[in-house]
Amino acid sequence: MAVTPRTVEELTRAEAPRPGWASAVRDFVRQRPLGAIGALIVVVMVVTASTAGFLAPYDPLETDYAAMLGAPDARHWLGTDAFGRDVLSRLIYGSRTALMVGLGASLIGTVFGAVIGVSSAYFGGRVDLVVQRVMDVFFAFPVIILALAVVAILGTGAQNVILAIAVPMVPRCARVVRSSALAVREMPYVDAARAAGFGHRRIILRHMLPNVMAPILIMMTAFLGEAILLEASLSFLGLGVQEPIAAWGLMLRGAAVQFAESAPWMAIFPGLAISLGVFGFNLFGDSLRDALDPRLRTQ
Amino acid sequence: MKQLARLLALAAGAMLALSTQAQSPKSGGELIFPVPSEPPSYDGHREETFGLIHPVAPFYNTLLRVDPNDPAGTKPVPSLAESWTASPDGLTFTFKLRQGVKFHDGSEMTSRDVKASYDKIIFPPAGVGSTRKGQYALVAAVEAPDAYTVRFRLKGPSASFLLSIASPWNFIYKADLLAKDMHWYEKNIMGTGPFTLVEHVKGSHVVGKKNPNYWDKGKPYLDGYRAIFMRDSGAQVAAVRGERAHIQFRGFSPAERDSIVSTLGNKITVQESPWDCVLMVGINHTKKPFDDKRVRRALTLAVDRHEGSKALSKIAIVKAVAGVQVPGTSFATPPEELAKVAGYWPDIEKSRAEARRLLKEAGVPEGFTFTFSNRGIPMPYEPLGVWLIDQWRKVGLNVNQQVIEAASYFGTIRKGDAQVHMDFQCGYIVEPDLDLYKFLSTERNPANYGFYQDPVLDDLYDRQSRATNVEERKKLIQQFEKRLLDDEAHYLMTLQWHRIIPHSAKVKGWTITPSHYLNNTLDNVWLDQ
Amino acid sequence: MARYILKRLLAIIPTFLGVAVLIFLLLRVVPGDVVEARYMGEGGQFQSQDQMQIERKKLGLDQPLWKQFVDWMSGLARLDFGLSMWTGAPITEEIKLRFALSLQLALMATAVATLLAIPLGILAAVKQDTWIDYAVRVFSIAGLAMPSFWLGILLILVLLVVFHWLPPMVFTPLWVDPWQNLQQLIWPALAVGYRYSAVSTRMMRSAMLEVLREDYIRTARAKGLWLKLILSRHALKNAMLPVLTIISLEFAFLLGGLVVTEQVFNLNGLGMLFVESIARRDYTLTQALVMLVATFFLVVNFAVDIAYAWLDPRIRYR
Repeated sequence: MAVTPRTVEELTRAEAPRPGWASAVRDFVRQRPLGAIGALIVVVMVVTASTAGFLAPYDPLETDYAAMLGAPDARHWLGTDAFGRDVLSRLIYGSRTALMVGLGASLIGTVFGAVIGVSSAYFGGRVDLVVQRVMDVFFAFPVIILALAVVAILGTGAQNVILAIAVPMVPRCARVVRSSALAVREMPYVDAARAAGFGHRRIILRHMLPNVMAPILIMMTAFLGEAILLEASLSFLGLGVQEPIAAWGLMLRGAAVQFAESAPWMAIFPGLAISLGVFGFNLFGDSLRDALDPRLRTQ
Repeated sequence: MKQLARLLALAAGAMLALSTQAQSPKSGGELIFPVPSEPPSYDGHREETFGLIHPVAPFYNTLLRVDPNDPAGTKPVPSLAESWTASPDGLTFTFKLRQGVKFHDGSEMTSRDVKASYDKIIFPPAGVGSTRKGQYALVAAVEAPDAYTVRFRLKGPSASFLLSIASPWNFIYKADLLAKDMHWYEKNIMGTGPFTLVEHVKGSHVVGKKNPNYWDKGKPYLDGYRAIFMRDSGAQVAAVRGERAHIQFRGFSPAERDSIVSTLGNKITVQESPWDCVLMVGINHTKKPFDDKRVRRALTLAVDRHEGSKALSKIAIVKAVAGVQVPGTSFATPPEELAKVAGYWPDIEKSRAEARRLLKEAGVPEGFTFTFSNRGIPMPYEPLGVWLIDQWRKVGLNVNQQVIEAASYFGTIRKGDAQVHMDFQCGYIVEPDLDLYKFLSTERNPANYGFYQDPVLDDLYDRQSRATNVEERKKLIQQFEKRLLDDEAHYLMTLQWHRIIPHSAKVKGWTITPSHYLNNTLDNVWLDQ
Repeated sequence: MARYILKRLLAIIPTFLGVAVLIFLLLRVVPGDVVEARYMGEGGQFQSQDQMQIERKKLGLDQPLWKQFVDWMSGLARLDFGLSMWTGAPITEEIKLRFALSLQLALMATAVATLLAIPLGILAAVKQDTWIDYAVRVFSIAGLAMPSFWLGILLILVLLVVFHWLPPMVFTPLWVDPWQNLQQLIWPALAVGYRYSAVSTRMMRSAMLEVLREDYIRTARAKGLWLKLILSRHALKNAMLPVLTIISLEFAFLLGGLVVTEQVFNLNGLGMLFVESIARRDYTLTQALVMLVATFFLVVNFAVDIAYAWLDPRIRYR
């Protein structure tokens, strides 16, 4: 029996075009206000990082020895640091460093972790067992210790920091992706692909990987926040990005702690920036997970 | 004017010290002080860390000592030796020992003990470490002709010999114990010093108590002392600030001093002095374009040391503008003369214009990039690194900083991979023989990571080392300095470290010197309480 | 059950060995060694290479790698951790006091985290999608987002400026002076605990939501009797399982992972020891520390697995 629309309204509504990007976003904002706030923060951070050159009132490297440790005033809205450099400008440029390191590390970590996790699930048996044990070994190290070890071997500096942060993330991502991939492996089309004679690499990359995209994306956003925090910790310890590059963790080091009593703005603002950035990524990631994975909708 | 100010500062420091001497010392009390690091062993001949000197030096005496009331810390005065004579040719030094000096176990100290100790320092047997053996290369033999006479025979005249005998590291050990076991003193303590060991709890503290049979009657004034191991400077500051410790003998940063003074006001006395430590920029002469001395001179001309001194002394433990000697000491170049050396010109615009001109002449393009390797130690390497990069930026040089962990730093630098790097020089006593040795040709001193050969410089060093006439020696040292820092610009001096000791006003009888290895026998110190 | 326990035990051994090999090799790949770290200190200009070789021989660093590894492993088997290369003291001594501090801090932080997570998680689940829920989620994610060392700096600043009081800077063990000890450790415990409560809060909330979805709970809620039923052993037990897992795993990580917090609060704990021993290239000490933390982690993991299997028999047969 055909379903008969009872009013003209219903008829026109049924013929309305499928919802596009705009209404998806609107729904997202309405249903998940926290996620929307998170997304906003992320967008602000990305915009700040890309337009740092326009936004920053001063060159982040420009020193002013007459204005060292200056309190916030009309000329320097957030004050100056131990070398007379403008804190606001360094914060703005610092977002660039944070994003570069965060994105780089979480990308590398998730990609490698995903490939390992999926391959391990796909091949199963002995391979799976060995890979699991190896991942367990890395798991048993606290994250910061692994990062310290990588820095000790490779040295400090932005590129090495990205690697140092990515390394502890690989096993964590691998484990999560593996459990999702195990489910995918049982899917009939994987068997069909094998029967059709497709090679392992093709099956893994073309058939399995796209189907675990949801957990991978969620991991990446979660890791981004972690990565920014880890970078801040490493820089704070002096093992990360180095002076005179503007980086939030670096700004919290040395003089910021020494002069915390007499010049607290040096310690307050960079920490606030880090917290806000990680906060935004976490909120956004959480809501993304809720939206993408109906199974986890209970959260 | 600046010279006057500097002299006044030194005089004020000295007067402060002298004025505290003017009161008569009171006996009693326990001196409490934090020590930032723990000694790996007890053997002064082997170690080089102040973590040994601060807690352990009070248990020992040396043959001569540095005058504890001299703020420059360069005058040798009697200790276990009550007098000495030198032969007219300067090749033989004879020391007359005090009689009746007892080790802590009651046995008497004689020339045998001095000879055995110095044999261990100068001619160590295989497997026994003697870190400063190279300093005594000119000593041919140590003799003990009778129980209270010790004779040193030298191979050639040496202007620094007497001061080297006053080295705070040369503890006089007991010959019998050394004969039994050359390594005994690494794990045990037996000396003639003003204090005896009560206990050493690893990771916690060292306690010493007054030696009632000390040879210097009436001393020490203190009943004892407690050296507490505190790694973190925050904890040390909190201890002094909370009046739980009297003094810290190494030095605090300007921020730490300010926080202590603002809390305790006039319960705190602050003594400051230039420090016998300096960071210098080493340039790898094997890497282009740094083999060209115009480029090296440009690097030093770009740096405004005078402004840097004013600014950095607020945030780091550096202050004085210096050449190769600690300002205010006997062989330091006076400021008017120093102002003629490249990098010390009073007109910084002129200096930087010259730097740019030299770079252009040498073919170095605007925005030229190079890497500056720095050591991973926060104070004062970090702020100096930021400052230097900033100064070089002002002449169009684009510098990246590569910070290398302290444990692998010199391994990397030694390989010759770095272009420009930060090096350091810390002396335990201000003496040109020690301070200038670093800059000799790499052939002579493999620890010179500039990788250059400069026979003129080497010759100047040898001549000043033999010059027993003070004026002549001063002239030679100034020539050495000019060649090193200006003509050839092999190295760049940054700023002299600055020693800041805020201590309880109750502590009297201790005078600051440029070295944190001196004045730690604590026999002159008393508590006004 | 016994077979499952045996299976899990056997799985631990290769991991344990893997960690040992990894840390052993990692350390030797890192440039520089302990002799270099010690002698390139402040007065190093007269030190010669052959003096340093003498020291290296004493520490056994000139032996071939496989022999050093075997020596170390056989020592481990006898529970002899050897001597620290930097101080020469037995490693058990070096670690003892710091282990006590780190363990206490980890326990206190976990307690703070649990006390925050469980009530907040339950509250957020019960009041899902209301402003209370949002407030709890914001509060807990804020804790996750703030670098704990920054929180530490701020805490100390506030204590200093507002209360004119600094926490004691020298560690007094709990059994010596409990008041002094708590004064020092409560602040880092709060800073760390707040941070770690976030993950547990989230887990508690989602676990609680699962429970609330059960039919019998929903009927009870409709009848107004839900509170008593929720808090009944059955319902809570199912919810608690994943939460306890998370809490235990986080606790295991806290032991050696508090490097930066220890730096800010000047705590002489395992984290700082880690950093120092790596900086000094003290191979024996670093190796011992890593094995300690890894063993701890593996043991906690193992206990959680067994608890899971005991509570949920289906797992034993997987």
